[in-house]
Amino acid sequence: MKALALLRMIERTLLVALFLMMVLLYTGSVVTREIGGTFASNFAWIEEAVRMMNLFLVFLALGLALERGKHVGITNLRGKLPPAVQGAVLKLVDAVGLAFSLYVAWLSFGLVQFVGRMGQTSPTLGVPMYIVYLAPLLGFLLLGLRYGLSLFGVIDRHADAEGEAA
Amino acid sequence: QDYLAKIGHLESTQQSRHIALEKVAEEVKERTDGHVTFQIFPQGQLGGQREMNEGVQLGTIEGTVAPAAFLGGFNPLVSILDIPYLLPEDAEKAEALREGPFGQQLLDSFSDRGMVAIGLWPNGRKQFTSNKPIGDIADFAGQKFRVMDSAILIEQFNALGASAIALPFGELYTSLQTGVVDGEENPLDTILSMKFYEVQDHLLVSDHGAMEDVILFNPAWWNSLPAEYQEIITDSFREAVPELTAHKAAAVEAALEEIKASGTDVHIADADERAALRAEMFEPAVETYLAKTGDAGKALMDTYAAEMTELQ
Amino acid sequence: MLLIAILLLAVALLFAGFEMLLVLGVPALAYKQGFWAQLPDAAVVQKIVGGVDHSTLLAIPFFIFAANLMGSGQIARQLLSVVTALVGHAKGGIGHVVVGGSMAFGSVSGSAPATVAAMGRMVYPEMRKAGYSEKFSLGLLVASAETALLIPPSITLIVYGWITGTSIAKLFAGGLAVGLVLGLALAVFVRIQAGRDGVATTPRMPWADRMRAIWAAKWALGMPIIILGGIYSGVITPTEAAAVSVVYAILVEMVVLRTLDWSGLARITEASAINTAIIFVLLAMGGLISFFVTLAQVPSSIIDLLHAVDAGWITFLIVVNICFFIAGMFVDPNSTVLVLVPPLYPVAMAFGIDPVHFGMIVTLNVCLGMITPPFGLDIFVASSTLNKPVNEIIRGVWPFVLLNLIVLLLITYIPQISLFVPRLIYG
Ligand code: NA
Ligand code: NA
Repeated sequence: MKALALLRMIERTLLVALFLMMVLLYTGSVVTREIGGTFASNFAWIEEAVRMMNLFLVFLALGLALERGKHVGITNLRGKLPPAVQGAVLKLVDAVGLAFSLYVAWLSFGLVQFVGRMGQTSPTLGVPMYIVYLAPLLGFLLLGLRYGLSLFGVIDRHADAEGEAA
Repeated sequence: QDYLAKIGHLESTQQSRHIALEKVAEEVKERTDGHVTFQIFPQGQLGGQREMNEGVQLGTIEGTVAPAAFLGGFNPLVSILDIPYLLPEDAEKAEALREGPFGQQLLDSFSDRGMVAIGLWPNGRKQFTSNKPIGDIADFAGQKFRVMDSAILIEQFNALGASAIALPFGELYTSLQTGVVDGEENPLDTILSMKFYEVQDHLLVSDHGAMEDVILFNPAWWNSLPAEYQEIITDSFREAVPELTAHKAAAVEAALEEIKASGTDVHIADADERAALRAEMFEPAVETYLAKTGDAGKALMDTYAAEMTELQ
Repeated sequence: MLLIAILLLAVALLFAGFEMLLVLGVPALAYKQGFWAQLPDAAVVQKIVGGVDHSTLLAIPFFIFAANLMGSGQIARQLLSVVTALVGHAKGGIGHVVVGGSMAFGSVSGSAPATVAAMGRMVYPEMRKAGYSEKFSLGLLVASAETALLIPPSITLIVYGWITGTSIAKLFAGGLAVGLVLGLALAVFVRIQAGRDGVATTPRMPWADRMRAIWAAKWALGMPIIILGGIYSGVITPTEAAAVSVVYAILVEMVVLRTLDWSGLARITEASAINTAIIFVLLAMGGLISFFVTLAQVPSSIIDLLHAVDAGWITFLIVVNICFFIAGMFVDPNSTVLVLVPPLYPVAMAFGIDPVHFGMIVTLNVCLGMITPPFGLDIFVASSTLNKPVNEIIRGVWPFVLLNLIVLLLITYIPQISLFVPRLIYG
């Protein structure tokens, strides 16, 4: 449980830092353009950097979103089933979700290795392009972890689904 | 045995690259008695160019015809083609350069990058447009130009004292309209098809940047072909060049007429003005290129210089 | 047979309440293994990432962030008090504000999901307070955002113009007209509904009070000024406006109004990241699906069928509408245009349909696709940002889907609506 709390804290810190950094970089690029001249040309990398950061923002938040019951789905029909059947369906969802997440994470791992071997770099920043595919790799691992924890009853991801938005 | 290649590219179906590709597909099918089929997917239907390049490495698709400007991340050496005024203005000399040792050395450099490059296709020259006057070289200073993701192209604008601004292609029309950036560079037929002239007042026909396409195939697929088919495909691409060039020239001519008719101020740079632009941009771009590519870049640059001396 | 089994699987997952990412993702993987087994498996990840790795999508996370900041702090409340002071006495009041606000915001942001996110957080509570039913409020919010793709600037129209070689200026003129017609239809609906729900109006305020309300909201009013003013004056792009509006909201809420502290900022940032992820993971799965639709060349087979039965132009336009309606249910807007327009356009031209008119039909269909259940991006955005179950949004959306279909029929069969403004301006 302690490990899970620590993981949550890391995820939250990363998300907040990433998002605020994206906002600042993008605003900064407006400022540099207003200053103009060849000075502005030094910041052409911002566009690319923010796009990469957005990928990490999106995939790293998948697990937390599941834990909090935030992912969208049409759940009202399921609610009409008898409680015993409902419980079974929920377990099935978790099991399919776990398998799906681990499979996509596994494929991402393959792609990370492949792109790493090819030596592709990003056009402006020149960073290795396999970084991009680390985002789904980590993201689907985090998602799979939550599906797994829910499957084995460690977390209850349906508890505060109706909670207040931010 | 039959072979099928899904080939993706970015242009629309009316543009020269697509029309030439359709021609090549027909030719290949006929000369291989229907054993090799090309399925062409235009307009980035199979993804953006980076995605398609990666797809070729991976084997998601079998081929792509990629503008060199989108390949720098895959093979830094190819960025040599981003250098302004690299290719000679004369179409025959340019083709000689493509087909000679320089072109071959460039194509060979793809082999350890997980791709088979079988040829280079000319796809016109870039021109400048802006909402501020650009008739004089000094006009560029202080203007903002949208630039593609490329260190060399950024340096090209720096050399003119302009700002190089990274903007997504899809947002460019509106950004030119509202004035987020003053101008951009593209071939005339792209300026026409993207309707940039609708929101630009000035056009400078400078022919400063060659738009070179690299014809790329997935190595596993390519190596599965009998040598005879490989030859047919390579030949078909090469033999399409005169028609491609002619179609492009006609498209560019028609585009220029339409842009003129729309009221855009058109200035065609003369030999002196081109020489002046080259004097500003060429060396800084070469230096940026060499800084990025080291010895391999130097070797390719040497081949280029030797070829050019021969061609003069 | 296998294809039918996969479709049934999708339906089963949907109704069993699987997360939408599984409803889209699992059948897509099954389809891949069943029909494209020779493709490398890693291609799946490439297309998943390809579905979200577009610069033009960045406006969505930024506007979601800005909307959450404004909604939890004072800015949204202050903006609405100005609106109430100005038009609160009018019948329909806040309902018209939703339509007008979405048209203005959608115009510049160019993104329907961003519009839903931004407007929803601000006006949904106010609509409920004024007495509109939950169902109507949710439906109106989602439907009004559609105008984002029609009223210029619009990337959808730019993509269409590029594919077909149509003048973008003319498309923008047509889009403006069609967007206004759609807005008008929504306004009429609001007016009728306001009477039915017995929506309260506030008494007309004297101008002195109005000015006071405006002055009190001076910092909040900086927000629309930055977004609208910044874009139209050419200082910033829509995506940049989104990022700048986040910075502005943080500054106003934290420094000027002191309604937000560091821990609050962290909480809102995190919630916005989660909202973003929920929407983008669906776009990611959509990227996968549209790849397979492209590979299978589905649209060309439809065209072949049309030729085979020798259909006339009326049938053709019906088929076009049906194609987009279904595609819009599962695929994101830009991919829809890229995949469907190339095969359909030449047929439309052969029937003598004007390119601008056809562009309007296409765009309105793309808009409609975003609000049609079960898969409509805007439905999920509303669900995620307002924290409402998808089925509640869907319940509210149906009447608007119907309204939209009526507008679509008008636009389809009365070309003059689309062509009047372009002809007026460009002859
Ligand atoms: Na718009
Ligand atoms: Na839909």
